[in-house]
Amino acid sequence: MSRKHEDGPGLQIDRVIHEPARLLITAHLYVVESADYIFLMQNVHLTWGNLSSHLSKLEAAGYVEITKEFVERKPHTMVKLTPEGRAAFDAYRRQMKALFDDLPG
Amino acid sequence: MRRSPALQDLERRVWLRTFEHGLWDVAIGLLLLSFGIGILTQFYWLAAIVVPVGLPAMRDVARRIIVPRIGQATFRGRRKRSMVRIQLLLAGLAFAGVVMFLFTSFATRDVAPTWMAWVRHHFVIVIGLIWGGALAVAGWAVQLPRLYAYGALLLGALVGVDLSSTGYHLGHALIGVGAVIAMIGLGLFIRFIRRYPVHLEPIEGSPDE
Repeated sequence: MSRKHEDGPGLQIDRVIHEPARLLITAHLYVVESADYIFLMQNVHLTWGNLSSHLSKLEAAGYVEITKEFVERKPHTMVKLTPEGRAAFDAYRRQMKALFDDLPG
Repeated sequence: MRRSPALQDLERRVWLRTFEHGLWDVAIGLLLLSFGIGILTQFYWLAAIVVPVGLPAMRDVARRIIVPRIGQATFRGRRKRSMVRIQLLLAGLAFAGVVMFLFTSFATRDVAPTWMAWVRHHFVIVIGLIWGGALAVAGWAVQLPRLYAYGALLLGALVGVDLSSTGYHLGHALIGVGAVIAMIGLGLFIRFIRRYPVHLEPIEGSPDE
């Protein structure tokens, strides 16, 4: 999967993170150690299907680690950012900050 | 990379959401209530059993009622440590109460130094400072401003006991403040239950997924 997209001279935007819903998910996972599906759903205001779809894309990019388990015979899924995901989010922040800082005021 | 103010704010909001349920307020209120009832009925052991019985009960309520509604998250470094601190603090509050009773019983003896006599005379204020201060420290540690108000309320009530020449007793003050805090916690809990419905994760392959 091609993660980066050439959007102009010297500017590469990570499209996996850049999508608004995934950016919200990644930001929430960045500030915690790990969170379950319900917690993410409540905080980023996505439906199960949407959340699941975006997390699959983040997982395919190697940015999140998803652990499924059964607690008292009920499914329970925990999600955490991988070190690559944390680094990618940091890089994305730097790129966006540089982009906006460089814009003529 | 340093966190931006927006990320710090996000982290704080996510963290505070885990306190919306009011269970901690109920726990603090019940602890003070148990002290108050223990003093009035002279069943001092009542407060000593609240923490070992109450904390596992609280965890069970959280697992059955809170987690299915808002899910669960584990926090990093500083937050994780502050949760350990607040649990130690609750245990410390119970312990400090027991120590104060032992201390005052010792201070009534003739061999006690004079400063102990002063502390004994105003021990209600000392308890207010210890517990009120502990609540304020807890409020600072978990960034929950209402704990400052609880600390001030408790200190004010106990200073009132010290100044009062009527039959207003330490036990009455603790019951009053404990009941107020527990009721606030209960109110928060009811609001929480109404605001957040139960969510169950769909089983893989089910049509809900």
